[in-house]
Amino acid sequence: MLNTIHTINILLPFLYLSTFGIYLYNFLKEGNKIYNSKRIFLFITLFVHLVYLLFRTLEFDHPPIINKFEIFTVLAFSLSFAYFLLELLTDVRDTGAFILMFSLLFQVISSIFIVDTFEVKDVLRNNLLGIHVISALLGYSGFTIAAVYGGLFFLLYKNIKSNKYGLIFNRLPSLEILEKLNFYSVIIGFILLTLSIMIGFIWLPSAFPDITYSDPKLISIGIIWLIFGVGILAKVSAKLYGKKVIIFSLLGYALALGSLLVFNILVKSFHSFY
Amino acid sequence: MNFIGISINHRTSSIELREAVHLSKEEQIQFIHVLKNGIFKEGFVLSTCNRTEVFGVPSHNRITHKEIVASLKEFKNIKNLDDEHIEIYKAKDAISHIARVTYGIDSLIIGDSQILSQSKESFRLSVDEKFSNTITRKIFDTTIRVGKRAIKETLISHGAVTVSFAAIQVIEKIFANLYKKEALIIGAGETSELAAIHLKSKNIGKITITNRTFDKAAKLAKKVEGKVIDFSEFKNNLKDFDVIISATSAKEYLVSYSDIKKAIQQRKGNPIFIMDIAIPRDIDPAVKKIDNVFYNDIDSLNIIVEQNLNKRKNEIPHVKEIIEEEVDNCFHWFNTLGVVPTIKSLRSFFESIEVDELKKIKNKVSDEDYIKLESMAKRLIGRILHNPTVKLRKLAESGDDVETVKEKTSAIKYLFDLDNIPSNGKDKL
Repeated sequence: MLNTIHTINILLPFLYLSTFGIYLYNFLKEGNKIYNSKRIFLFITLFVHLVYLLFRTLEFDHPPIINKFEIFTVLAFSLSFAYFLLELLTDVRDTGAFILMFSLLFQVISSIFIVDTFEVKDVLRNNLLGIHVISALLGYSGFTIAAVYGGLFFLLYKNIKSNKYGLIFNRLPSLEILEKLNFYSVIIGFILLTLSIMIGFIWLPSAFPDITYSDPKLISIGIIWLIFGVGILAKVSAKLYGKKVIIFSLLGYALALGSLLVFNILVKSFHSFY
Repeated sequence: MNFIGISINHRTSSIELREAVHLSKEEQIQFIHVLKNGIFKEGFVLSTCNRTEVFGVPSHNRITHKEIVASLKEFKNIKNLDDEHIEIYKAKDAISHIARVTYGIDSLIIGDSQILSQSKESFRLSVDEKFSNTITRKIFDTTIRVGKRAIKETLISHGAVTVSFAAIQVIEKIFANLYKKEALIIGAGETSELAAIHLKSKNIGKITITNRTFDKAAKLAKKVEGKVIDFSEFKNNLKDFDVIISATSAKEYLVSYSDIKKAIQQRKGNPIFIMDIAIPRDIDPAVKKIDNVFYNDIDSLNIIVEQNLNKRKNEIPHVKEIIEEEVDNCFHWFNTLGVVPTIKSLRSFFESIEVDELKKIKNKVSDEDYIKLESMAKRLIGRILHNPTVKLRKLAESGDDVETVKEKTSAIKYLFDLDNIPSNGKDKL
């Protein structure tokens, strides 16, 4: 099984590269020759990646979340998977390249630096931890996808405002759809992050008897949760639309990213395992 | 078999002459009867503001473009229609030309879809007036097949090529579901009507018309199943509209920056698309600075039109390839029209000899020998006719020169005097 894991590890960046390439080609070139086949490519990549993650879990007897590069490969998977679900739900197929490039980046870094770790702390073998981390990663993926759609909204908005009717105008879906995709991604991200926080609250006290709720990492996640929660509430209750909503969403993402980086890199936490 | 025709179009004649030659539907019907009376056995007439096309199968070999032009001149009572004002097409070129015209490659607006419906209407008229027969139907089928392939395999009909459609293209890049949107049309003239019809064709949710003259607004609203709002009231209701199109002859701005600013605030950022196609403009262009307001005038929309026209121009060679392929197929069939009866007649002729000769010896030989002789005669005739049949069929399938086909089939007919031998009805092809 170890050989298979190593082979798939080498294969995955190429699969992501091909899938990204097909989505990019289809975005740049009009015509529908590969319009349907690109989704099949994405499905195959996701399937192989899922097998890889399962094999790692079985072989090393822990969920693949115990070091940065395992997290990166899970992040690559969750981003693509979240996009795949969104594409299936909305049938908007022309924005994949903008999401898949992040998956490609994370997977390339992971494939290069990932190591096989057999010996891990007992706390990291817990299934609840696996669900907690994976749902958190899927949540962040949702926010990342929302940010990508926010960026695309801006691009198209600027193009239409300045009467530029080139590639961006021709190939992107409408502003209304981009705004909806942004909002749906935020909602999905928020739900998954909430789930992750809830599992964390159940599992943490049993895993860490000396837990403190003033831990910087918990505070940072709390801030992110609040930012998006307030944003969603404001949009739904005040029925806000358009450019300003997208600006708030992007600011929220930047703040969340900043908070995550600051509290993870600069501040010492009990919530660090590697 | 011949197929000829003339084309008077935007390349060959002035707009005045094209107008003079133009045939209304009633005139087309009358002119078809003129053509049927000694000029064409079958054919069709297409007449639009940009072109008049008269094509058909001549009643006899002496008919040339001169007779067609003369009949048209006489029918329309015009004197200045000369050879320089017409294009003449024959046989394969004629079919290619019809396909090019039908799919807008020959139009001022490349890929114009209006000409397709006009061509279909002309063919329909030809059928209704019993002016259509095997050849005209085959040509129509060929052009339809060209169209289907052109739409499927090329981008000839992609993108908006009129300002109104360009506006729709922009609207579709802002809003996802037009059936949930409301449009306000300011003005009830021809341009407004066109815009309203385009919006209606895109299933926009609601259309409201406002105009200084209420009756005109009501008339247009009835046409597009919309409603009317009083001209003095519309500014107070701007917040209700996702799309605003203005095309009046007002000398000053009807809608100011502050009107739109107020509307967008009331809409909580919900976008507004504004299309000002009036000259001078009706809406202060400064509104384009307001967030979530997408303002377009004729100049900005023309950018889309130009881009799409260029894209369509690039597709012309691909469509021409399709036309060539389909016209070749059509022409092969066209050639077989002359060949098939010749093969049939030739076979009938030899079979009649076989029957005659067998009859003569029937009582002179035993039944057993007769069966043998009968079988031998059949084999003999089969072998004699094998090569001529295959060669004629190949000529029909591969040849694209009507004259060659005609020459060779005529020679066979002449040598065996086939024109005077009735077919026995057996088709052994």
